[in-house]
Amino acid sequence: MNLFTFLVGLAFGFLIVAAGLSDYTVIHDMLLLREPDVFLLMGTSFAVAMPLLLILRRRSWKTPLGGGLQLNRVEVEPKHVYEGALFGAGWAAAGTCPGPAIGMVAGGSLLGLVVMAGLGLGIILRNLAAGRISIGRGPTPHPAQPAATS
Amino acid sequence: MELLPDRLAWFIAGPIIGLLTVALYAVANKHLGVTTSYLQVMTFVRSPRMAEMWRVWFFGGLVAGALLAALLRGGPSPNLNYGVLGDLLPIAAIVPVLFVGGLFMGFGARWGGGCTSGHGIAGSAILSRGAIVGIATIMATAIGLTLIVHLITGGSL
Repeated sequence: MNLFTFLVGLAFGFLIVAAGLSDYTVIHDMLLLREPDVFLLMGTSFAVAMPLLLILRRRSWKTPLGGGLQLNRVEVEPKHVYEGALFGAGWAAAGTCPGPAIGMVAGGSLLGLVVMAGLGLGIILRNLAAGRISIGRGPTPHPAQPAATS
Repeated sequence: MELLPDRLAWFIAGPIIGLLTVALYAVANKHLGVTTSYLQVMTFVRSPRMAEMWRVWFFGGLVAGALLAALLRGGPSPNLNYGVLGDLLPIAAIVPVLFVGGLFMGFGARWGGGCTSGHGIAGSAILSRGAIVGIATIMATAIGLTLIVHLITGGSL
């Protein structure tokens, strides 16, 4: 399991940098609607993944490492909109997001480290606000949150 | 020596990223997502037994893959560049902007349970309604704010 997820991460991290997603200018131009490439990248990823996952689900696919396939779907809640506003503002300011920030730092960007530090603190603050971590007692075991996938 | 082209085309990178999303579900029954792997790495540092190890390994893979690509581009070189934002703002201003930007993203992603990868790539692919609303709001906010700042700054940012 760990080797497999390491390899998926390896390929994903490689592609983020190779496709230019860790380049501030690429993301900034995307958000200025100056070039469609990143939208097309996300669109083709969706176009490939969505039908395959639906087929696997319809066939009640048994995964080799994780039991019967269960897609982690969540219903719409207000928090998704609150998140969108916050995350969108941060994305607009930094011109990068959590995966590409790793790519920035791997390329030697010291300012990318600042983004990663902010991300870390933001994650901790949200977990504190949600009462999932209490200071001094150590973290609770990872919560059985269906939506804990970001 | 640069063995990697400047930018791998979207029609190559996009489908492969889609296949990675499928592979993670099809083999391991796991939902691709980056922000939660940050959380699990921090959990691991604090108390290794509490961490979801597959996410820690996924994060290690992200770092290794990004480093590999950087090496193929001639190796990481420490720098303080930050595109047009770096040209416009002095370092004393850009550091707080980027830190708060990161903070907003980290807080937001944990709140709504997904970032651009967890909602935008994996969540949309499984037709999760919450994830689709999440990524749509993220996109609309980020594009709207970027365009507003572009107008206010007379097109310099």
